[in-house]
Parts: sequence; structure tokens; C-alpha cells
Amino acid sequence: MSHQLGRLVAQILQRYCGEIVEKVGNDLFMYGSKPIAMIVKSTGLPRTQVIESLRTLMKFDLAMFEATGPHVDYRLLPENVLLLIRYPRYLLQMKSKYGTEAELIIEELLQQATCSATLLLVTIANKYKDDKDKNLTIVTLKDTFISLATAAYIQQAPVAEIKEGSEIPNLVQVATIVPDLDTRALMQAMANPVDIKDNIYWKVNYDRFHQDFRDDIMIKAMTRRIDDTAGEVMRLLLQQMYLSSAAWAEESNAIPVTDLRESSRLTDKILLHHHLEHYLKVMEENGAGFIRRAGDAGGGQYCVQAKVAAKLLVEDVLDHVVTERLGSKAARIFRLIRAKKYVEEEDIQKNAMLPNKECKQLTYKLLEEHFISVQPMRKSQQVSGTQKGIYLYHVKLFEAVHVCREMCYASLHNLSRARRQLVSEHGRALDKQRRVRTIVHGMRMRSETEESINDVLETLTPPEVNLLAQVEKQLKQLSTAELELDRNLFILNWYLHYP
Amino acid sequence: MSENKTDDVSEQILNAVKKNSKGISATDMAAEVPDLPSAELVGAINKLLQQGYLDIYKQDGALIYKIKNQLSKQVVKGADNEEKVVYNLIEEAANKGIWIREIRNQSNLTNPQLTKILKNLESKKLIKAVKCVNASKKKVYMLYNLEPDRSISGGAWYQDQDFESEFVDILNRQCLRFLHQRADKIKNNPRGPIVGRTQSYATAIEVQKYITDLGISKVKLEVEDVVTILNTLIYDGKAESTVYPDGSRVYRAIESLIPPPGLVQVPCGICPLIHKCSSTGLITPQDCKYMNEWLEQ
Repeated sequence: MSHQLGRLVAQILQRYCGEIVEKVGNDLFMYGSKPIAMIVKSTGLPRTQVIESLRTLMKFDLAMFEATGPHVDYRLLPENVLLLIRYPRYLLQMKSKYGTEAELIIEELLQQATCSATLLLVTIANKYKDDKDKNLTIVTLKDTFISLATAAYIQQAPVAEIKEGSEIPNLVQVATIVPDLDTRALMQAMANPVDIKDNIYWKVNYDRFHQDFRDDIMIKAMTRRIDDTAGEVMRLLLQQMYLSSAAWAEESNAIPVTDLRESSRLTDKILLHHHLEHYLKVMEENGAGFIRRAGDAGGGQYCVQAKVAAKLLVEDVLDHVVTERLGSKAARIFRLIRAKKYVEEEDIQKNAMLPNKECKQLTYKLLEEHFISVQPMRKSQQVSGTQKGIYLYHVKLFEAVHVCREMCYASLHNLSRARRQLVSEHGRALDKQRRVRTIVHGMRMRSETEESINDVLETLTPPEVNLLAQVEKQLKQLSTAELELDRNLFILNWYLHYP
Repeated sequence: MSENKTDDVSEQILNAVKKNSKGISATDMAAEVPDLPSAELVGAINKLLQQGYLDIYKQDGALIYKIKNQLSKQVVKGADNEEKVVYNLIEEAANKGIWIREIRNQSNLTNPQLTKILKNLESKKLIKAVKCVNASKKKVYMLYNLEPDRSISGGAWYQDQDFESEFVDILNRQCLRFLHQRADKIKNNPRGPIVGRTQSYATAIEVQKYITDLGISKVKLEVEDVVTILNTLIYDGKAESTVYPDGSRVYRAIESLIPPPGLVQVPCGICPLIHKCSSTGLITPQDCKYMNEWLEQ
């Protein structure tokens, strides 16, 4: 709930939902929760617009309401607003894991926020009916949908319950039941989408995706630290972890090696078959503490230490940030202080092997940027000139992470702002391009002659084409950077998620 | 004849003193040289003291005689008493050196006199002035032929009390290179990861040998010096260390757990002005020079 977060949320809402929603969202962010009348008053927007905005926000889970008696307050959910920029990653994840159908389903569902299964599948099927490349059939779509529901990437949306004598609905979470969709009914619905009577609504389960992201980070880290096979072992461990422990547990329940061996038979890594125990041992000792030997029963048991992993990864992020901002010498000091817990200035100089002056300067710089903290120790309460105080430097990881997160927010905001600037600067050219494309697309559909299509295409002059290509490249660069920043934020939030 | 006799007595006294390196008291001395009247004994001792063969100390109220270092005796030959006192003080300080103020306090000499003596001794190459690494203004004196202590000279990392950060950097890089040569052995080693890990480890002694063989260092590097360098590698996050069952420490080059995160890939993450950047004012993202440069790459 910081200033930077507020700026970022406003920027994102502006981009995805427009200015009016941004105004309402910003107002809610600043004041916490408030009723509609207050929002109308402070934003100066007409009541209908405010209601419309709130509807949009609530539909996409960006806001919620709290009812106390007849009184209803609305509240923004900033963390969910941030998820809006993560959408491309969800889609990519789906595409690589389950293929195009899954991607389309998730995309449609993200756009609709909530949707009934039948309607969702029918809409997609109708949309891509004529698309020969994709070659979609309602049957494969249905199967994908069911497997997604089984894997919990999608879940049932909460159901509104209205108590008697009250007009305020109460949202109740329901357990997801994997539906049994009838192919024939779906076929019929395709022909006649208006009379779909399916009233079980579905939505995307973000948490499941986040688990995937987390696993991915951990596996990649192991691969970097040891080798591919170790990454594979990590994957198997995480797989087993889901069977026996809560997904976000700080530490998984013990996983017996025999189970791992069983599942390792499915992979084709020869090294893994021969040296599973050895890999586990090396990972335990040199894998930065991602796993821990928990016992000897059943040929040895291992725990996945997710919390430790998050801490290590966050430290790595901070190291990178310090290295890039203040240089590798500063990173050395930063790591040194972290390793020694509490350390005096002189000891830093001795261990870091840096010239005194440089060392001092870098230490103070780190202090200035709030990556490290200082704890003065005085023998007596009175401050006297002769007595030299002892100053102990240390890293408050939690605070350093917050500093880093704020910087991420600020950077994301700036990128978003730059993007807006770019789009507005070249708005006319972009508009023109869009129009030309639509016309050309239409002409192609009507299969008009190549000549006339070219005529339309030539309305874009070469300098305009050049400019547009450049703008497109820049926009792409900005989106890539946004996604990278989001990955960064994910690690930070993962760490902060553990109490 | 009398000359001869005095020599004999001196010989006897010196032998007695030499036998007791911790010093000998006056009564013991009389026992060592029995057939001599005490008046003559005192005379002989005084002479030896004057010549600088003996030293006299006071211990528990009794006088103790000690043999004096022969070498230093020769060196100070021809020097006057003040010089001897100063020289002795400096000699006692050994390779830790002694500060000029300490000499003045202990010798009770005046400042100009002391400076003159020190200059004199320095010009004779009997003593030298060494600058202390901890305090740049502080000069300490020690005998000419002594190697300054690590606390004074700072060890291998200091040249004329300046910290040689470039030297450290070079060593740091070379150590890392050595570790890197081995580090890949853990990757998909056909003989299993434990063998691979063992092969990727290097002990400080191996690293020291490698560095010495390279011949980049003029100074002889001890194993502990190399350990300090290896420790900086650990603090750089480029190596890790483990202890072998036999207690020796081994090092291994590692990579960071994650590639550079998103924050450092965008200009804002490394922008020194990020905390001053806001929506309005002088520094704004709308007309940020860094951002534009980055976009136009």
C-alpha cells in the first residue's frame, strides 16, 4: 500500500480499463474502502459511471465489497490489479504445457472473467470455426477444458447467495467439480448459442499458475547451480510434494526416495537412474539448501524447503540489483554483511579486501539506498565525544526486499507511462495502420484483386512504415521488460508471502 | 700483568652471564668469580657495562646483569649515550616498530635532540622509518634489517602503505579462473555427481600453487593470503566453500541461482535518480533521457 504501488495501479487501470475506471480505482486505493455515495462525491463522476466502473472492477476480481448490515463498502484489490500484466505469461504457460486449445480457453476466460463452460467452449469454437490452421473441434476443446479443470488451472467461481430479507448477496466459495460435458449438447449449443442454460460459472485459478511459476524458478535455479539432471530431480521432488503437502507450505512433508525412484523411471535420463541418491546428496549439500534430508526411513527422506529457497532467491535478486546499481564491490560488501550478520565497519574493510576509502564510501552508499541498516551500540546512555561508538551494520532482508519491490513498482509505472507516451505520440500513425489493416483484411476476405489491395497498402508512406516499425519494436521491448519485471516481482512477493 | 688480569676477570664475568641467559644477580656473580674482592668485581663490571657488553636491570629490588646482543653492540660502536638509548628502545620494539612520541617519553630526550639522533641513525642505515597502514600520518621506527610486521605493513596487499586493489583484483580474477576450469566437471559427469563435485573442488593450497606458477605476484603469497582472496570470491557470490571430513577447506566456483532479474534489465532499475523520479517535476518518466536512449538502442 505504498505511493509507488498507487501510481502503478492507476497506470495499469488506465491502460486496461480506461480513464473512468482508473479514477474510481485510484480513489478506492487512496481511501481504502468506501461506499458508492462517497466515491461519487470525491471523484465527481456521475453515479451511473461509478457503478459501471465498480462493476467492471468487481467482475475482474479487482475490487470487492464488504457488507456491514445495509451498508456496503467497496475496496480495491491492488495485488489483483498487478496480475493484469501477467496475463501473457499465463497464456504462454498454457501454450507450452497444454497446447493451443488450452491457450485459447484461458485467453477467452481471462477476457470474460467468469463464464459457463458451455458458453465458453461454444464461443471459442464459433470464433475459430473458419480458421483452418488451428483445426479446432469442439471435442478437443471439451477434453482440454476437462483436463484444465482437473489440473485446477480453472475453478468454479464463487456463487452468490442472497439471504432472506437482505438485498446484498454473499459470495460463497464452492468446491470445484470436474464437469461432465456432453458433446452432443455442445454441438447443439454451437448452432444455437442463445439458449445455453449452463449456470455453473468458471474462472481462472491464478494460484495454480503461480505454483507453476515457482516450480519453474526452483528447477531452473538447480539446473544453473548443478546440472540438468539435478533440475530434473528437483522437478520430481516438487511433483511428489504436491501429492503430500499443501502447495505453498514452507516446508514439504518428507518425500521418500523410493517414491522418487518410482517416478524417475518415467524419465529418460540415464544419469538420473544410476545416481539418484548421489544427486540428492549433492543437492542437499551444494544445492543452496533447497532440500533437506529429513530421515532415513524408506531409503532416506527429503523435504523441499520452499521458504529457504524463496529467501535465497530473493537474496540473489538483491545481489544482482546491488551489483548493477552500485557495482560489484558494493555487492561484495552487501554479501559480506549478510554473511556475518552484524559487523563493524573495520571488519568489513578487512574482509572485503578493498581500499579503506572506497569501502567506506560504498558502505555508506548501501546505507543510503536502504539495502543495509546500522545499529549503533553505546556503552552508556550519554553521548560523549571521547567515547567512540560502535556501529554494527546488518541486512534487514525484509526491509531490503521492500525497497526492491518499491523500485520494481516505480520501474513498472515508468515503463507503462513511457508506453502510454509512445502510443499517444504516434497515435495517428498507429490508427492509420490499424485502419489499413482492417480494410486489407476485409478485402482479402472478399478476395479482391491483389492490385487494389496494394493500392490500399500504399496509403502508408515509406517513412510512416519505418516509423511504425520502430514504434512496434519499442513497444515490444517495453512489454518484454514489463514481463521481466513481473517475474522479478513474483520472486519478491513469493518471499513476502511467508510470514 | 694487571691488564691481563682484568681481561681474565672480564672473561669470567661474561662467561657467567652467558650461562644464565635470564640474567644473573650480583650475589650469584660474586659466587661465580670467588677469588676477587668485591671492589674489583664492581670495577670490572662497570667497565664491561661501559663497553656495552653487559646490560643492567633492576628486578625485585636486586640488580640483574644480562649479556648484551653482540651484533647491536658492534653497530652502536662509536655512538654516544643518547644514541645508544634511542637505538635500544627501537631495538626492543622489534618488527612492530616504535612511534617517535613513545621514544621521546621513554628516553626523556628533547624533541630537537631526538630528531637529530634519529636522523643520524637513519643516515647510518641502522634504523628505518616505516609508515603505518592503519594511520597514514604515523611513522614508526625499527631496525634497518627487519621486515615490518603485518599489522604495520598490511601484508602482501600493501605497497608503501597503499592498498593495492588492482593486485587484489587480478588475483581475484585468476583464482576464479582456476576454479572455473574445474567447475564444469560437476555438470552431467558420467561417473555421477559426487565424483563430479569432488573434481570441481579445489583446496587453497592448489590455488596457491597455481597462482605462484603463474608468476603474477612479485611478493610470495602464503596460503592464508590466498584464502583471503578466495573468501572475497565467496563474498562476490562466485564461489562456495565446504569443509572436507579431514578439516581442510575446499572451494568451488558457482553461478548465481537466477539470471539477472527484470529490475536490472530496465533503465529504472539502475537509474541513480529513481527515488527522485515522479509524475510531475523535473524528473519524470515522460521525458526521461535514459528511457529514450534505452528504447532507441
